[in-house]
Amino acid sequence: MIWEVFRQEKSGGYHTHCGNVHAPDAQMAKLFAEVQHGRRKPTNSLWVVPQQEVAEVDAEEANFGGTTDKSYRWAMTYNRVDESFAEEVADSQREQETADRERDEVTAGGNR
Amino acid sequence: MSAIEHLSGPDDLEDDEREAVETLLYRLADDEFVIAERYTEWQVRSPTLESDLALSNIAQDELGHARLWYDLLEDFGYTEAELLWERDPEDFRHSTMVELPFETGDWADAIVRSYLYDEAEALRLEALEDSSYPRIVDRVGKVLGEETYHREHATNWLERLAGTDDGREQVQNAVDRVFPHALTLFEPVDPDVERQIDEYGIRTRSLDELATDWLDRVVPFLESQGIETPVSNSSEVTTADLPDVRGRDGTHTDEWFDLYDEFTHTYRELGRDRADRIMSDPDDA
Repeated sequence: MIWEVFRQEKSGGYHTHCGNVHAPDAQMAKLFAEVQHGRRKPTNSLWVVPQQEVAEVDAEEANFGGTTDKSYRWAMTYNRVDESFAEEVADSQREQETADRERDEVTAGGNR
Repeated sequence: MSAIEHLSGPDDLEDDEREAVETLLYRLADDEFVIAERYTEWQVRSPTLESDLALSNIAQDELGHARLWYDLLEDFGYTEAELLWERDPEDFRHSTMVELPFETGDWADAIVRSYLYDEAEALRLEALEDSSYPRIVDRVGKVLGEETYHREHATNWLERLAGTDDGREQVQNAVDRVFPHALTLFEPVDPDVERQIDEYGIRTRSLDELATDWLDRVVPFLESQGIETPVSNSSEVTTADLPDVRGRDGTHTDEWFDLYDEFTHTYRELGRDRADRIMSDPDDA
């Protein structure tokens, strides 16, 4: 029986497929995976998954992304934007912060 | 046990303290080194690629542990060549269980041996966690950290082998052959020195106590797997159960001398007079 092995390097990260092991059951699969896939690279956790339990859909069956032009989904437009506008955004943000602070001071003064 | 006075560093030990520390270290280091040599014979011969890698990994661990213990012997001025490559084979103090050859393809033997060995290993390491010799205490944790895997590996395999009639028969045959030699794990190198080891608190359980602890663990487990153990008393080692050669006292099987010739072959063939170091000293690592 083949078990697919997924390795997570750091806590919180994704478990990424890294290979497989032959083993009769999950317990032995974990034992073998530990040596085969967790020993030479930084490892926080391993998953072993019975290969036959992995469901697959591939490009022969599915049209991933559809068949019509959907290039707008790629959001490439932003790559060609003139970034100097960002300065205006920053200015405006600063202005609002100043106004906000002044408002606070006025309110605090009124309460005194 | 009452409060133990700590021993000094390697340079300031009294003669008999030093003899006790050295004797204990030879027991540990030689066992680890020789069992690793034997495990290595399974490389590319194990039943599956996975079991091959797992056992090779365990062999590597044991070699690493041997290195930690031999390194403490080097504190006393011995070189690696003196400790291994040029040492008289009669001076090795490992248990005969670790030197026995494997029959071709007898995987059950490899599993049984590793089970019996690693259970004993865990117990004797636990008896060193509070050793009076600080250099040993420093290293026990590291070694113990790798032993859990070894025991899981052996136990999982044993349970599965014992789960079929054919497999159980193979395990039983291995136990019948290997078990008497496993008892030598708890035999003294020299009874007086072993007593000193205990009195100085270098080891916090005596060999007899360790043997009892071990029998209490392995006999019921093997029985639960339908395996009988060839011992006349299941709570202490009886002389009648021991093999004629015991390793610890310098008596060995003929196969040990063949193995020794084999692992020192290249060293002799190349006319070496010392061993090169490719790894940093464990104290610096």
